[in-house]
Amino acid sequence: MDNPPSTSKSMTPDSQPPIIHKKDLSFLDRIYIPQIVNGLRITITQIFRPKFTRQYPEERWTPPPSFRGRPVLVEQNGVERCVACGLCARVCPALAIEVQGSETELLKERYPVKFEINMLRCIFCGFCEEACPEEAIVMSQEYELTFTSQDDAVFGKEKLLMSVEKLRDRLEFLRKNR
Amino acid sequence: MAKITIDGKEFDADPKQTIIQAALDQGISIPHFCWHPKLSVAGNCRICLVEVEKMPKLAIACSTLVADGMIVKTESAKVVNAREAVMEFLLINHPLDCPICDEAGECKLQDYAYRLSVGVSRFDFNKVRKPKRVELGPNVTLDTERCIMCSRCIRFCDEIAKETQLVFTQRGDHVELTTFPGEALDNPYAMNTIDLCPVGALTSSDFRFKARVWEMSSTESVCQGCSRGCNTKMWVRNNEVLRLTPRFNASVNDYWMCDEGRLNTFKHVNAETRFKAPMIRKQQGLVEVGWDEAIARVVSELRSFKGHEIAAVASAFATNEDNYLFVKLMRHLGVGKVVYLPHVKRGDQDDILIREDKTPNSCGASAVGATALPEHGPLAGLLEEIQRGVIKALYVVDDDILTDPVAAEAFSRLDFVVAHASNDNGVSALADVILASSTYAERHGTMTNFQGRVQRIRPAVATAEQDRALDGFSMSRLDKFGSHNDRWMRGARRDARPTWRILANLAGVLGAKWKYATVEDVFAEMASTLPAFKGLSYQRVGSQGVVLPANQETPASVQR
Amino acid sequence: MELLIPVIKISVVLGVLLGVVAYTVLVERRVAAAIQNRVGPNRVGWNGLLQPLADVIKLVMKEDIVPKQANRFIHDLAPMISMAIALITFAVIPFGDSITLFGQAIKLQIASVNIGILYILAMTSLGVYGITLSGWSSNSKYSLLGGLRSSAQMLSYELAMGLSVIGVVMIAGSLELDKIVQTQHGWMWNILLQPVGFVTFVVASFAETNRHPFDLPEAEPELVGGYHTEYSGLKFGLFFLAEYTNMVTSSAVITTLFLGGWQIPYIGLAGLPAFWVSILQVLAFCVKVYLLVLFFIIIRWTIPRFRYDQLMNLGWKVMLPLSVLNLLVTGLVILYL
Ligand code: SF4
Ligand code: SF4
Ligand code: SF4
Ligand code: SF4
Ligand code: FES
Repeated sequence: MDNPPSTSKSMTPDSQPPIIHKKDLSFLDRIYIPQIVNGLRITITQIFRPKFTRQYPEERWTPPPSFRGRPVLVEQNGVERCVACGLCARVCPALAIEVQGSETELLKERYPVKFEINMLRCIFCGFCEEACPEEAIVMSQEYELTFTSQDDAVFGKEKLLMSVEKLRDRLEFLRKNR
Repeated sequence: MAKITIDGKEFDADPKQTIIQAALDQGISIPHFCWHPKLSVAGNCRICLVEVEKMPKLAIACSTLVADGMIVKTESAKVVNAREAVMEFLLINHPLDCPICDEAGECKLQDYAYRLSVGVSRFDFNKVRKPKRVELGPNVTLDTERCIMCSRCIRFCDEIAKETQLVFTQRGDHVELTTFPGEALDNPYAMNTIDLCPVGALTSSDFRFKARVWEMSSTESVCQGCSRGCNTKMWVRNNEVLRLTPRFNASVNDYWMCDEGRLNTFKHVNAETRFKAPMIRKQQGLVEVGWDEAIARVVSELRSFKGHEIAAVASAFATNEDNYLFVKLMRHLGVGKVVYLPHVKRGDQDDILIREDKTPNSCGASAVGATALPEHGPLAGLLEEIQRGVIKALYVVDDDILTDPVAAEAFSRLDFVVAHASNDNGVSALADVILASSTYAERHGTMTNFQGRVQRIRPAVATAEQDRALDGFSMSRLDKFGSHNDRWMRGARRDARPTWRILANLAGVLGAKWKYATVEDVFAEMASTLPAFKGLSYQRVGSQGVVLPANQETPASVQR
Repeated sequence: MELLIPVIKISVVLGVLLGVVAYTVLVERRVAAAIQNRVGPNRVGWNGLLQPLADVIKLVMKEDIVPKQANRFIHDLAPMISMAIALITFAVIPFGDSITLFGQAIKLQIASVNIGILYILAMTSLGVYGITLSGWSSNSKYSLLGGLRSSAQMLSYELAMGLSVIGVVMIAGSLELDKIVQTQHGWMWNILLQPVGFVTFVVASFAETNRHPFDLPEAEPELVGGYHTEYSGLKFGLFFLAEYTNMVTSSAVITTLFLGGWQIPYIGLAGLPAFWVSILQVLAFCVKVYLLVLFFIIIRWTIPRFRYDQLMNLGWKVMLPLSVLNLLVTGLVILYL
């Protein structure tokens, strides 16, 4: 990011909406009624406008690759890419992640025996994804998260692993926007 | 004295000092990899380059002696440039291993890469590959790629541990650290090379991948492995001790500690064998009970014996405060003599650190009035008295005499056995009451080493009644910001108490009017009543300890 | 027979009223959704028609929480007062002329009281008790403030309300609601004879029912939930229903006083049988009332809430003088024309 976007125009003091004092109001304004009628006209016309509601469980939404759904661990060739470096856990502002590393025979030497994300704590900021040196944790497009107990909300490796094919869109997006 | 100027600061320095040392004495830290205050100068890493006026080229601060009128610049453009170049060279073949490297977070190379390097590599070729995961010895794992060839480890083995085991082979960028053929890095101090290694080339096989360094809290403590009492740091995560590292103390252990102490003096703290609460023997065997019940039972039993029928065994593993209160309580009960068991391993001693006396506080136990049992057949006298029926009850504090196989038969004749114990190593077979005592990793207190130096231990692991934040523990980030329902906050906590507090509770029920709110109160009383501890306080003990007045005359050479 | 007819009347009116109230909740949610280009509750039953049932089940199943320091008895009593008073008012509303069933003329009004208007005014004033008591007994600052605001608001607007009714009474020459409706035959609806009175009365009704834009007693941004902050479960439900019942009752009162009640102008000219005329009149009454209810609802989603000082200004400095003036003009007109 080169330049942070300048704060939007409407925030600058000189472009605030003008202050209208009571004495500036005309008689019609003051008796409210024309304004109320006008308001009613607006609300009533809205009633007949098309609706925006999506009938959720039947009609689902496929998020764009820029969407930050629940964080998942990338699985490649049957194993997670993660090397349990704990950087995601360190950067996580919500302290949602817990990683325990251990030795593996694989070339990467180190793998997470335990990798847990507390989905009740996660705020979907994507910092973990940004910090990860191995591109091993990414924000998926999944947004459906329901649990019936606090312990259910702690996702272990079995729930976090997702094959790299399913995450292709996101990985591509990340590479393009690095 | 030589008058020198470093970065505009003028001061006098000893002409026998090198620039780096003189600067350090003034609080100016010059980057260095290969230099170490207690090792010979090698001068091979070149990161310590500084500009010395009137010298044609940059000089390495670690081997250049100071001279009168010398003017040194450590941050001039030339120096910064040179350091950048050195860093670039060092990083050419360095693997991108930080994510899997145990050193990450306390790595000099990492720190300097942030501070002194531009952070971009211009090297487009393949890096030199070298063996990884090499077991150099039983406790040390080497990653040859990460080595920056500073030779600190080699010099340590040669000069401090006095065993030549490590060597470089090959040359140029193919240099590899290795052991001599047929040798292993197995000297009793080998693990100090792990702390010395400025990068993650030498790592601990025991601690390997257990935790990242920033996840742990570290607490100043004292090693319990022998009567030297090396100063240590205790690293804790999730209420579990994960590793010990030595802490500098010029008069005790310098920068070092032995492998035995580093590996084997903390594992019992987290062990499965820990007692989780006080226990009382009932018909169905030992059952966990509340503290009040356990103490009431001990008091009623003790009251039924005469003073001379009770054998009181203090401990060279317990703190000065614990032993002092034990002696005081036993006197209150009319017990004539309080003894403690020596643990000496004849022959297991060297002139580096290791001592024959394998207890951390035998000196202190004697100083507060307990008598050491004879070294050979220590229990003989006691056993004989038990056989004769003179001794009917036994009170043991924080020691494992009950596990002695020879004594078991005699002990089973006793009417009542009470033991303060942290771990079940056989005590539970004989004891009628077990008062779950906390380990040294959970207590405040002082230990007196063989030099008569009183040193403090501090709690690093919380028991059920302690709270890390409220009780002034050192805290990791997780401790600070986690909440009770986070999984990493659920590490086991035992309902154990320090021995001094158990004794104080007992005394209260016995009707003695003791008033100790903290262990510091006990120490204050010792300082005013025991001549040996006269005038001492926790403040004076500090982090480096203080020698008992009686031992102060001994010359330092004898103490080492 | 003497007893049976009133009992039947009461049960029918109560049943219909509660049904209407329950569905008004649904209607409000659907209308609000529509205004915001949403759909609203449409899952329970066909198009969400069973939603009120689901709501009731939910409210009944919820735990009843009473704050520790609350006055338990009054805390329980307050919602009952609110609900009861909202319902009782309906007793004097004539919802039709009389109808002849099985040879018996039945008046379509539960109680024909000759001081009907006074009764209505009295009952609406009593309504404030429910709210004030709930605010006081909860022992919570938010509830208390909500309760206090409510009392102040009701006092301020009651005067205007009372005065604007007097115009109507003067024209009808009676306090009996039935008479007032009778006089509004043909085109002579009071809305045309008393336009200013109508406006002041409607505004005062909004204030009396604590509906937007006068819902300061439960202004969420300042008072959490206002007087019912500390209520849950069925007791909260009662307050909730009372609000909607009040709305329906107020609409009925406005219809009766200003919109000709059950009158259909010039229906007599159609020459229908008397029985059917009566039925049509009842329907007309219902339609008028419900249109007003819809008006109540749409207003809520149209204009913002008043500030407290604005509310008081409006009540004392505008509504009161206006209704006094209206009274004066009405008096003069009746005297000299
Ligand atoms: S998305 Fe943010 S809050 Fe969630 S786990 Fe990653 S770093 Fe933590
Ligand atoms: S940052 Fe990446 S590699 Fe490191 S522990 Fe997290 S997911 Fe694993
Ligand atoms: S030695 Fe230091 S720089 Fe090298 S991989 Fe390990 S932590 Fe990173
Ligand atoms: S292993 Fe470590 S201490 Fe030894 S030479 Fe290499 S970098 Fe230096
Ligand atoms: S520290 Fe001076 S050359 Fe290494």
